[in-house]
Amino acid sequence: MTTAAATTETAPDRRFSMRRAIAYALLIGWSLLMFVPFVWTFITSLKDRPEALRVSLPASPDFEAWVYTWQSIDPGLPQRMVSSLLLAAAVTASNLFLGSLAGYAFARLTFPGRDVLFVVVLATLMIPDQLRIVPVYQIMNFLGLINKNPTNYLSVIIVLAVSATSIFLLRQYFLTIPRDLEEAARIDGAGYFQTYWQVILPLAAPALAAVGVLQFQGTWNGLFWPLVLMGQEKDHWTLPVGITQLQGAFDTNWPPLMALVVITTIPILALYVYFQRYFVEGIAAAGVKG
Amino acid sequence: MTAETVTAPQARTSMREAHRREARVGYAFIAVPMALFLTLNIFAILYAFFISFFDWGIRGPREFLGFANYQDLLFDDPVFVEKAVVNTLRYSFIVVPAQMALGLFLAVVVNQKIRGQTFFRAAFYFPAIASSAAVAVLFTFITQPDGLFNAFLGVFGIASELNWTNNSRTALESVMVLNVWTTSGTMMLFYLASLQSISREVYEAAALDGAGPWQAFWRITFPLLRPAHYFVAVVSFIGALQMFDQAFVIGGGDGSPANSLSTVVLYLYRAALVKFDFGYAAAVGIVLFVAIMAITLVQRRLFGQAPAW
Repeated sequence: MTTAAATTETAPDRRFSMRRAIAYALLIGWSLLMFVPFVWTFITSLKDRPEALRVSLPASPDFEAWVYTWQSIDPGLPQRMVSSLLLAAAVTASNLFLGSLAGYAFARLTFPGRDVLFVVVLATLMIPDQLRIVPVYQIMNFLGLINKNPTNYLSVIIVLAVSATSIFLLRQYFLTIPRDLEEAARIDGAGYFQTYWQVILPLAAPALAAVGVLQFQGTWNGLFWPLVLMGQEKDHWTLPVGITQLQGAFDTNWPPLMALVVITTIPILALYVYFQRYFVEGIAAAGVKG
Repeated sequence: MTAETVTAPQARTSMREAHRREARVGYAFIAVPMALFLTLNIFAILYAFFISFFDWGIRGPREFLGFANYQDLLFDDPVFVEKAVVNTLRYSFIVVPAQMALGLFLAVVVNQKIRGQTFFRAAFYFPAIASSAAVAVLFTFITQPDGLFNAFLGVFGIASELNWTNNSRTALESVMVLNVWTTSGTMMLFYLASLQSISREVYEAAALDGAGPWQAFWRITFPLLRPAHYFVAVVSFIGALQMFDQAFVIGGGDGSPANSLSTVVLYLYRAALVKFDFGYAAAVGIVLFVAIMAITLVQRRLFGQAPAW
């Protein structure tokens, strides 16, 4: 899938020298190390069961393992995709809205205790998720969200609704927007919310895109909270939870499992190929912490 | 904003009114996020701390134990101390430096004038986009006795039939390799952002003084990256101490084989959701939280002050 891109980018350099050759060999070698396991996963999903245990190309590649996964996994793949998508979409939307709202307040509005509260937000990054298992589970249970109804999804959505990282990244971006534009809007009689919504948000599109793709990816891939809060309710299991089920204790049937790995990864792969810039910039922005 | 030269009392009151209004809007904007942080994080820690002093199950009488949970945990629970803690520390102290070194190396390489810079940057980050469950499963498959990894070793003349992830002597090391593989790209991006903020002039001045590239790296780049070292070390350590998904998937949920993949967090998870011993699980969590805080403070000392923490 991705190997096609590799060949186009590695055109030979005109100023050929031994040192450059070694450098590029290392770069390409390391890239291969990044891709080959995924390509191998896809190849394995095209094999049959005994063949999967050998290092070889499939003698007669087919999608039988994919069909098997499609038919045998319970709950089925469409339902799982809906679960994964629902969680990822809701969590992304809520992070964009709540994160930008809070990020804007922390960047631009003056109110007593602002800086202390911002440090509290950042400090939550130090709290291990696992320490929160028991209290969060009990809070959700108290709210009646550990149940068989679709409201079960809400438990995970609420826990992930707004992350300190989203607030932080958006605040940093808002700080770089010149104040003139907002002041002009305020003089024209726009309220605070209107200014935020109609002036600031459109200007922050790149930052919103970065936070959006990272949140979507993180939630789509997330295993921990769905497992803890929705583990008892089979109908709500996501694709990553499915991977942990299909992996048998002793005698794993690899090709269908590899098919499921590919199915789980493809949407994120598409997102990455399309929005690569925002992934890379989002991570990089988190790295330059002021 | 603080133009206090206005003398008319009306203007002053309307100014104060405007400030008050701005503050109200500010609180309104952060209200929902702060409510979530306060209940799901701050309250959660206090609650966990509270129940860690009890024999606290799903139902039944809750008995106050004092420090008994902590005592049992630290002195009478060999699986926790000898396996979970030792594994987690061993894992962290190998994976964090490895990720940092590799991340920095890749960042410096990708920051050179090379063709396909964008491609290599995207390629090196690539494994990080996949779900940890997916990556853990594909890694388990590749490290089977007849798998791709042993075949790869064979190319270098190393004959191996090890089942890397299912052997108690190599399972943890395999997960180390797995996580260095998936996460050094992220560390590279962290470093890259800081590398690009170092001005060219510094290097030009050094070159004029006759410094070679090796010297320039150790004398200029490395010390100037101090804030980045701190950030990467903290993020990497917090991640390593909380390693869960990979141990959960590869170790079949219970740290198999022979507790070699038992980690502090997996232990906490099992105490809470398999044994339903909430008080004990909370004690595990508090011990971990204190350890993370302590290590973060030590790193702050080590790398100097960093903003916002």
